[in-house]
Amino acid sequence: MTDQPETAATTRRYFSTFQLILLALFAALVVVAKIALRLPLQLPGHSGIFWMTIVVVAAGVVHKPGAASLVGLTSGIIAGFLGLGDFGALNTFLSYTAVGVGADLTLWLLGGNAENLMIATLAATFGHMMKFLVKWGFGIVTGAPVGFVALGLLRALLGYVIFGALGGLLGALTLKALRRAGFFQYLAEKR
Amino acid sequence: MAQRTRVLIAVLALVILIGAIVGVEALRRSSSGQAEGASGEPTLAPGSIPIYVDGRLEGSFSPTDLEALEQVSFVDAEEGKTQEGWLLRDVLLLHVDQDQMQPEDTVVVTSGSRGKSAELTWAEVDDAANWVMFDLSGRSTLKLVSVLERLDVRDEWIQDVDRIEITSE
Repeated sequence: MTDQPETAATTRRYFSTFQLILLALFAALVVVAKIALRLPLQLPGHSGIFWMTIVVVAAGVVHKPGAASLVGLTSGIIAGFLGLGDFGALNTFLSYTAVGVGADLTLWLLGGNAENLMIATLAATFGHMMKFLVKWGFGIVTGAPVGFVALGLLRALLGYVIFGALGGLLGALTLKALRRAGFFQYLAEKR
Repeated sequence: MAQRTRVLIAVLALVILIGAIVGVEALRRSSSGQAEGASGEPTLAPGSIPIYVDGRLEGSFSPTDLEALEQVSFVDAEEGKTQEGWLLRDVLLLHVDQDQMQPEDTVVVTSGSRGKSAELTWAEVDDAANWVMFDLSGRSTLKLVSVLERLDVRDEWIQDVDRIEITSE
């Protein structure tokens, strides 16, 4: 037998396997929501109401900085492979990742409590805005023409802000409902 | 730092971000367009789509045209999403005389930034059942969609349209 240091066994991982599975499920849910859930609205960014809810719930259930980023990153990989989005796989991957990173960063700066209505709303708004920023930035880099309607971009921006905020609000309310239902207590007992 | 202050800073940052995007877009808008217009040709308004007939600039599809156009919509088969906008036929007939158009004339809709284009015949464009139309994208640029087999899925749509060209046969 050799005397190798057992560093691998003794190092504590940042996310447990259970948390990683939960985050992967949330990531898959983001993509499924994008494909399957439709609102009969002709407003840019309206799908944010679904996926920002999921991202905020993920950040609340796995209460660690980086959880939302991991959901964004994983959903970006899945969505990229499924060919979602108008601007190619790289744009899709980056915009989905930006959603998670933006929400995560805001949550971290505001104290990390995704159950707080104001914090969750702001985090989701920033996350969704990051998605818009990536899409818009790509447009500029690739030399896309300016908007056809003068105030069209502002309308799109407001759509992203409003639906992102609504998603965050729904996410925080979902987390509160989960707490009332004893979900977090159940998770703690499992641990 | 108090939570309230952090929230206020976040809201302020959001407003600044929105202001920066709108500002940059306004700068792009003011520096685009009006560059075309050789002698005798119409001047392009920012954001408008130039329409060329046999290589000559005939006019442009601009936001002011929307008042004269009927908005139409169809549900695309691929994603079940409603595509809403203006028929290419109606757009072209604002600038080109219908008598001038022959069924075999070609209409090429191009996106320079995407390096994509779609070539259609006037007969295809003129047939309302084909739903050859422009839909406004999330970034407020125009995308060409249709139920025609070669234009009915997202990969085949022409996003960020910046040129329409008619060539008579």
